[in-house]
Amino acid sequence: MTEILRVEGLTTRFFTDEGQINAVEDVDFRIHEGEIFGIVGESGSGKSVTALSLVDIVEKPGQIVSGRIWLRNPHLADSIRSDNPDAVDGEMVDLRSINPRLRRALRGSAFSMIFQDPMSSFNPSITVGEQIAEAVEVQRRAKANPRSTASRTQGFGLGQFAMATVLPSKRFVTPAGRDRAIELLELVGIPDPAQRAEEYPHQFSGGMLQRAMIAQALASEPDILLADEPTTALDVTIQAQVLELLEEIRDRTNMTILLITHNLGVIARTCDRVGVMYAGEMVERGTLTDIFRDSVHPYTQGLIGSIPQLDQVKGRLQPIPGNVPSLRAAELGDRCYFADRCPKAMKRCLEKPPMFDVDGSEKHRAKCYLAEQPYDEGDALPEDYFDG
Amino acid sequence: MATKTATSDVIPWDKIDMLLRHRTGRVLLAAITALLVYVVLSGTGIGPEETSTRIILSMVVGCLLWAHLVYGAWLVKRELQGLFVIWGVVTVVFFLRFLTPGDPTIALTPPDASTDVREQLARRLGLDEPLYVQYADYIWNLVTLDMGRSLRTQVPVMDLILIRLPATIELAVAATLVAMVIAIPLGVISARRRHKPADYSATLFSLVGISTPNFWLGIMLILYVAVTVDFLPTGGRSIGFAAAWGGLLMEGDFDGISRWFAQLILPAITLGTFFTALLTRLTRSGMLEEIGKAYFKACQAKGLPETIILYKHVLRNTLIPIITVLGLQLGTLIGGAVITEFVFAWPGLGRFLINSIHSRDWMVIQGIIIIIGIGFVVINIAVDAAYAYLDPRVELR
Repeated sequence: MTEILRVEGLTTRFFTDEGQINAVEDVDFRIHEGEIFGIVGESGSGKSVTALSLVDIVEKPGQIVSGRIWLRNPHLADSIRSDNPDAVDGEMVDLRSINPRLRRALRGSAFSMIFQDPMSSFNPSITVGEQIAEAVEVQRRAKANPRSTASRTQGFGLGQFAMATVLPSKRFVTPAGRDRAIELLELVGIPDPAQRAEEYPHQFSGGMLQRAMIAQALASEPDILLADEPTTALDVTIQAQVLELLEEIRDRTNMTILLITHNLGVIARTCDRVGVMYAGEMVERGTLTDIFRDSVHPYTQGLIGSIPQLDQVKGRLQPIPGNVPSLRAAELGDRCYFADRCPKAMKRCLEKPPMFDVDGSEKHRAKCYLAEQPYDEGDALPEDYFDG
Repeated sequence: MATKTATSDVIPWDKIDMLLRHRTGRVLLAAITALLVYVVLSGTGIGPEETSTRIILSMVVGCLLWAHLVYGAWLVKRELQGLFVIWGVVTVVFFLRFLTPGDPTIALTPPDASTDVREQLARRLGLDEPLYVQYADYIWNLVTLDMGRSLRTQVPVMDLILIRLPATIELAVAATLVAMVIAIPLGVISARRRHKPADYSATLFSLVGISTPNFWLGIMLILYVAVTVDFLPTGGRSIGFAAAWGGLLMEGDFDGISRWFAQLILPAITLGTFFTALLTRLTRSGMLEEIGKAYFKACQAKGLPETIILYKHVLRNTLIPIITVLGLQLGTLIGGAVITEFVFAWPGLGRFLINSIHSRDWMVIQGIIIIIGIGFVVINIAVDAAYAYLDPRVELR
């Protein structure tokens, strides 16, 4: 399988008035073509910020501090190899080292995003068809004239905008784009797509709108589809339909999908490989079996332990004690961030663990000393260590 | 049976129906009607004598038809409600007169006039009748578009108002346009460059604009722009809207239109400054609120050019609440431009109203207040229609 995305040491911080917040800290992962990679974690663990960092739309005061985002793009790699050799590695291009304008021009085509709440992620006063057609046009223009798309105005400045308000033929969205939008709506299983394209977001149900959002994400034919909690705002029955749709698209077009969720059930049924995030770090990653059966990190084990099992009588569910830590840099310190909630915390854990290979396999890695040594009860941290 | 077939053969109902369903069809129909009204008016010699006033009248009729085609039953309903509101205004204004001190017959007669003379005058003006008779008379006269005569000059109130109304509307619309043209781009820039020098300059500008008194700004403009530089007229309204535009369109006369434009600039700036400042702040905060919404991120993630995100998506949604403020402000400008009108000797309704209050010319006061009331009702209906046009979630019912 070809590697399509390799993220190395991605670090995104928010520099607020109340202090620095380490939302994403030194995250590594790679995704192969045609697979569904899941990122799972509690709210505030940095999952969404990771996705926003990939697309480079982190709002101020947030900032991507360091890290490299290698994306497979042979064409782009060839065109910039001579000018910027540091940004190219074989067929991979480092999006962090290229010109920001070029990076912005790649937005729709490299990654498309599906957002959590479809109702607020569509503009309420523009028809759904028009909004999907916009994504089609972005892609068409980028293909037809890459140079103008990578300019400051992305080929559509105020002058063009003024012209477009007077001359319908100069508008951003063309009739061909509208037709493509209708095709895409049909593709994601929306009945009567030509009629629905003319309707506004408030005339759609949540599930239908999430399908429309998937259509919009497909419109720009992305290398990777970023689905940020695509099912969280939906009813359970609709959730299943949306997940099926994503899988169907993957099977049909060999699309690569990065699925972000806090729902382990969703991960278990759709993903090939999984990364577990905690307090801005990716604490464990591996294949679905690695994570669900052979997990090493006590946090992963805790997450899995807190899923209700319908076929077993286990008595009470086992919640993870305590709360997600604040991500404020001043409070985090330099230890394993999970140590205060960890049932197997050792004295070693007061020093930050590096990423270990589990069982000598580079595919299953964990940020926990337990990957290297068994739990040593004699070395355990006193239970009230963090209470003081 | 046979006759029915004949009618449907003669009049192509289905084609008319199709025409009415399409935007261009409605506009076409309204334009044809306007033309027809104009031809009839000039052919029969009914209505205003000036050609330009006739054109304006026929355009108003055309626009009204278009609005009814587009908004249908909703508009009729709102018009009936508006009539009710105006009736309320008329009633309050009418009875308010009897709660205020001052007898118009004293103001109208010399100080040494006898009681006999004053009673005679009261009888002639109908002031000796019982209240309900006076009220019924007034309402009936209003229905026939007669607002009575000025107590002071005996000229029909309707004529007095119609002379001054265009000046007032002209100034209010010009001030609003000045505000929109300056404030909306300024607000957009300010929001986009938040906490940068451009934003701080815009904030400073709006702070100064909000705190500058009208009369001072007007006098300073006259002093430096009109007197020292001698670039624009110091005040007055030497030519009306209809005459200026009619002259341009009919005779190709550029002199009238340039004079009309020049006389409007300083009053419009004076009246519009406060509003510009207010609108800049509103646009800025509205834009920031919209930028915080999820669809802004979604637009960015699609890779849309920034111009499209800002002007097609964000600004459009920002305008929805701004339209309301715009409408209300336009309403207050119709009656509330008194200071500017005094400073620039602008023959508008506000100045006329104050003068009439001084001379206790109740008939004129009533008339002006009713006209202002009608203005508010019309603007409110227009704002609601604009609201529904901009925000598809709003349904007109």
